[in-house]
Amino acid sequence: MSEQGLSPRIPSTGRGFGRVLVAIYAIFALAATARSVFQITTKFSEAPLAYLLSALAASIYVVATIALARGDRTSRRVAAGAILIELIGVLTIGTASLVWPGAFGVATVWSGFGSGYWFVPLVLPVVGLWWLRHTRSP
Amino acid sequence: MTGWYATTIIGISLGLVTWSAILLVTHRAPDLVLALGGVVLELLLIGFLIGGIVQMAGSEQDFARAEFVGYLLTGTAILPAAFIWARGDKSRAGLGVIAVAFLVLPVIVLRVQQVWAGSGV
Repeated sequence: MSEQGLSPRIPSTGRGFGRVLVAIYAIFALAATARSVFQITTKFSEAPLAYLLSALAASIYVVATIALARGDRTSRRVAAGAILIELIGVLTIGTASLVWPGAFGVATVWSGFGSGYWFVPLVLPVVGLWWLRHTRSP
Repeated sequence: MTGWYATTIIGISLGLVTWSAILLVTHRAPDLVLALGGVVLELLLIGFLIGGIVQMAGSEQDFARAEFVGYLLTGTAILPAAFIWARGDKSRAGLGVIAVAFLVLPVIVLRVQQVWAGSGV
């Protein structure tokens, strides 16, 4: 399993630029999780759908962060899956929030394609998938 | 929770973002300016945490207190966490991680101020 991780020649997802990417993912994981816990524990009934979506986004960020940081073969698959769901999520919710404004009650992290977070939620999965491809062993 | 103290933290953070970017672009290693700046910033953030809690304790105002303390604690934890994560990769990537941390701090300080002013999550 870890024969790839031990070899310094093969790039790992948690090294080089990946180090920075993991840091950014970690910040989103932390922010989204904390926010989500706060929303669900204090005012869940106000906008259940939006808060559940935020919780889903938070858990995806957590999984992606850990998987990218680990970078072994299984983790790469997990990271690819999580980041793909993240991309689909931000595109779907982003579109839905524009087509049906107010459908979610309150803004989620993916509303308006992440416009509330300088579009980082939109850029992050694209960069993440590119990075997984870039570090793929030959 | 507003005023010169928070502005100083934001100013130093942005200054260190700029300095990190200069070091990155010119392919230089993290230097004493960055290290000392980071230590000063961390001390200011610890002061911000203590001052914030003291102010909160003496305030009757209605605002999201748990969230407020959460942001203050996160503010003090970010630089040490970034430092530990950056040490794992002593290439330019480590410096990049530190730069991201400096960039996030002003956002956290602004959120602390927003929560204090009463606009919650």
